[in-house]
Amino acid sequence: MKEDQRQEALENIELIKEVVLHTKKHVGSYGGGWISIIWGVFCLVGVAGQRLFIPQGALMGVWWTALVVAAIFASILVGQRYHKTQPVRAQHRYLRYFLRFWLPLILLGYTLALFIALTPSFSNHYISIVMLLVVSTGYLIIGLLFFRGILYIGSIGYFCTVLSAIYFLEYSDIILGSLFGVGLIITGLVINKQWKNT
Amino acid sequence: MEEHIAVKLNKAIHQKARLGIMSILMASEEGEFNYIKEKLKLTDGNLSSHLSLLEKNKYVTIKKKFFKKKPKTLCRITEKGRQAFEEYLENLEKIIRSVPKD
Repeated sequence: MKEDQRQEALENIELIKEVVLHTKKHVGSYGGGWISIIWGVFCLVGVAGQRLFIPQGALMGVWWTALVVAAIFASILVGQRYHKTQPVRAQHRYLRYFLRFWLPLILLGYTLALFIALTPSFSNHYISIVMLLVVSTGYLIIGLLFFRGILYIGSIGYFCTVLSAIYFLEYSDIILGSLFGVGLIITGLVINKQWKNT
Repeated sequence: MEEHIAVKLNKAIHQKARLGIMSILMASEEGEFNYIKEKLKLTDGNLSSHLSLLEKNKYVTIKKKFFKKKPKTLCRITEKGRQAFEEYLENLEKIIRSVPKD
């Protein structure tokens, strides 16, 4: 009798785990794929524009600001569409945690980038370095706290950014923009493919 | 002793289909009727009766909405439902702990 109850309890816990994991995978992967693709395109287009605008420091600031606004707007549109069309929806508290985590980091990156842009002795190439170090740090924190897979992405990003800053500063924006841009697009495509299989 | 714990298991949740419904709703903000039906491989009638029981216990709320002129039935877990589910999980763990492995 005791063993029967224990067995049933174990089976029920297994069922709960399976259903919760499957649902979370479905909920988490839909919007994430497209948002990742949007930010990948943002990196590639941003770097291409930066190359064109590098001689005009002020124009570069306008360019990145416009791109950030466009990418945030596109991400919100994806989120809204997801909320209307998906059969299961994420809890608002997860979105709130996500925003509370990334907003201060983005603010930090933006402030540091602004200081670099306003300091003539600093090369503008450091702007992309600083932004990517901040993003990599975000991935490292999430990786250390929650998901090992993200820890590896963060470590690779951090390592590549530091290497580029030391050895290829002049071309670091192209190298890192392409690396992060293509990486994000591939991640988005993989997430979308996984989502279709859920 | 274990009999006593088994009695404590919430009967509104302690059933495979309802456990599945509650698990889906615990992992998301709200779930569509057809999604739950498909994932748990239930029929319309079967799912409706399980949802009615959960609704009667105030563990879920059910609303109908229209999206692009198509009706959608949305199920949402309540705070009472969350608490009941968490308590149910704790009781399952108690049962597992109360029986030695061999």
